[in-house]
Amino acid sequence: MAEKPSQEYVFVSYKLPLPYRWAAGKYLSKLYKEMRDHKKLVTNRCPQCRQLIWPPEMVCGRCKVRAGDEWVELSDKGKVVGYTYMVVPLWDPHKGMRVPEEHPYATILLDDGMYVVSRLEEKDKSKLKVGMRVQAVWKEEGRGHGLDEDILYFRTIG
Amino acid sequence: MVGKVEETERFLFDGKVDIPHKYSAGKVGSRFLIEMRDNEKIFGMRCPTCKLVYVPPRSTCKYCFEQLSEWVELSDKGTLLTYAVAHQATPIQPVKPPITYGIVQLDGADTGFVHILGEVEPTQLKVGMRMKAVFKDKKERAASILDIKYFKPLK
Amino acid sequence: MANRVAIVGVGQTHHRSKRPDVNVPELVNEAVRAALADAQMKMKDIEAVFVSNMEMFEGIYLPDHWIADEDGNFMKPGFKIAAGGTSGIASAKEGWHFLSAGIFDTAMLIGFEKLDSGDTTAAITTATTLAWGKGEARGAIGEFAKQAANYMQQSGATDVHAAMVRLKADQCACRNEYAHLKLGLKSVDDILKSPFLEWPLRLLDFCPQSCGACALIIATEEKARKITKKPVWIADVVSVHQLPFRAGAFCDLDGREPYSEDLASVKLYKRNGITNVRRDIDMAEIYEPSNWEEMFLCEVFHFCEKNEGWKMIEKGMTGIEGEFPVNPSGGVISSNPIGATPTVRMAECALQIRGDAGTHQVTRDVKAAVATALGGPNWTAMVLLKRSL
Repeated sequence: MAEKPSQEYVFVSYKLPLPYRWAAGKYLSKLYKEMRDHKKLVTNRCPQCRQLIWPPEMVCGRCKVRAGDEWVELSDKGKVVGYTYMVVPLWDPHKGMRVPEEHPYATILLDDGMYVVSRLEEKDKSKLKVGMRVQAVWKEEGRGHGLDEDILYFRTIG
Repeated sequence: MVGKVEETERFLFDGKVDIPHKYSAGKVGSRFLIEMRDNEKIFGMRCPTCKLVYVPPRSTCKYCFEQLSEWVELSDKGTLLTYAVAHQATPIQPVKPPITYGIVQLDGADTGFVHILGEVEPTQLKVGMRMKAVFKDKKERAASILDIKYFKPLK
Repeated sequence: MANRVAIVGVGQTHHRSKRPDVNVPELVNEAVRAALADAQMKMKDIEAVFVSNMEMFEGIYLPDHWIADEDGNFMKPGFKIAAGGTSGIASAKEGWHFLSAGIFDTAMLIGFEKLDSGDTTAAITTATTLAWGKGEARGAIGEFAKQAANYMQQSGATDVHAAMVRLKADQCACRNEYAHLKLGLKSVDDILKSPFLEWPLRLLDFCPQSCGACALIIATEEKARKITKKPVWIADVVSVHQLPFRAGAFCDLDGREPYSEDLASVKLYKRNGITNVRRDIDMAEIYEPSNWEEMFLCEVFHFCEKNEGWKMIEKGMTGIEGEFPVNPSGGVISSNPIGATPTVRMAECALQIRGDAGTHQVTRDVKAAVATALGGPNWTAMVLLKRSL
């Protein structure tokens, strides 16, 4: 009784937001506290290779030793080494919807040699230039929720 | 200079992963669901080598790896193999708790069929009881496993 | 003494954007049956099954359990590896280790992904660090847009070069029955006209979301020689992982951080006596999600000098009739069922070595080929396949 299966195809749609609660951990919490309370970026230095570890972590990945508690304040000024801007809004799983983004995103090399990825204040694409100097613009009331919240964007300063 | 790590307050982030998904039932799965929606019939698939009937139907026999295509219409009655009651609410449940689930072996099938049990108190259930499928009204059926509302005891 | 291991069977599905006619286990089953038919073996002859897949993309936890009946893994040993884009080669590596050690004599390596079930970009976006990635909903597209902007600046390549790479990929894909995107592009203008996704990445600069599966059957030497007259030997597998989640995850901006591709390829070449890459290896199937990335990967895999990746496409070296074919199957930019993609890279190299690639068989005689995989963030896996050891 081998009948041909139906050509109508059935789909099962499924949307179940999975809630999570992530702990920032000991070292990242320190960074977020400084950002929220003092509008400063800090990180720790590996006792062995003497490099700054960014973002701050418990272990230096290169040397495989405990990173320790030698904390250093970082400059919040730097230069743009690359930028892109979104044209087609993409789905953000943290928000559960498509999110357009008006500001360009840039990889910024801070004066201390650390990279951050952040929005740029400048929305006029023709004014964007690799190498331009930028500085962080901090949110009035920091929430301690990291670089994409407590730093609003980087402003062109030169 | 910024204080030892042990003394810092801890930061927690509430987040979520919210991505919509859409699964294809496939040719075989689609026919199974459509037969329930349109004709109130439950179909299984037989392996000609092992002589086993799978329900819900599938395309490959897991024992002998034969490609399957022999559809078998099954009864809507079966024997209760086991059951449990879920009291705690979770977001994915099809109906509000308490929900009584059971595995019913339909007459003619060699596999258990998981579904909700209804019109019965959990205390009245017994392994080995005879059960019968109760379908939703035609206009409520949507080619879903929930086109069967539940299995009820066969009096 | 380690066993020699060879690929004895290859099977893949025709990769497409939607497959409503099959669910995931049935999709995998198509590739599995194709591989068994190619090797003329039965499922009972396979001792273990290694699977590569990313749960987040289909949204089903433990997919290897779901497909166990249809992929022949019922009551057999094996496991799943989820390593982003490197998964296919990572699971191949595990299979190779087990067979080399003599624990099994035959195994099946399966990669699959059914990307019509979810949103890949959104799922990739969940691979971010709390520190900054969370607000940046751009997934792999964002990373490769940054890579493209960086490559343009550093090497002097233009979007015309990127378009030439895309044109070459499409011309190859049109000759490969299994490829997903067969667009029939006629000139670079077709690509330069396509809209931007995230500047400077255009729609046609980036890979599609494909549904597909690929299965390889591997066997130890004694069994391999009985099963097929054309075993393809796995000469070596290398994988390198790097510090994850740095800014500029797919490009190193200041020359301090070594690329995982560089480390992996140097190790692979050294271990296998390869001193002149384009002479000692005959072709490559690399994991390039974008055309800009292909030019960069040619440099960092040492197919050419630094900042000269764009010259390879300009001189027509990387096409099917070229001197050093790169991705004659159409590559990842034409078909990307992520979990299967590295397995497809190996499968395509195996077909080329066997001379079985049909209309997309390269002109150069392929005695040795390299298949690579790229996983976010910063994992590289490479396999060296040879006609004879």
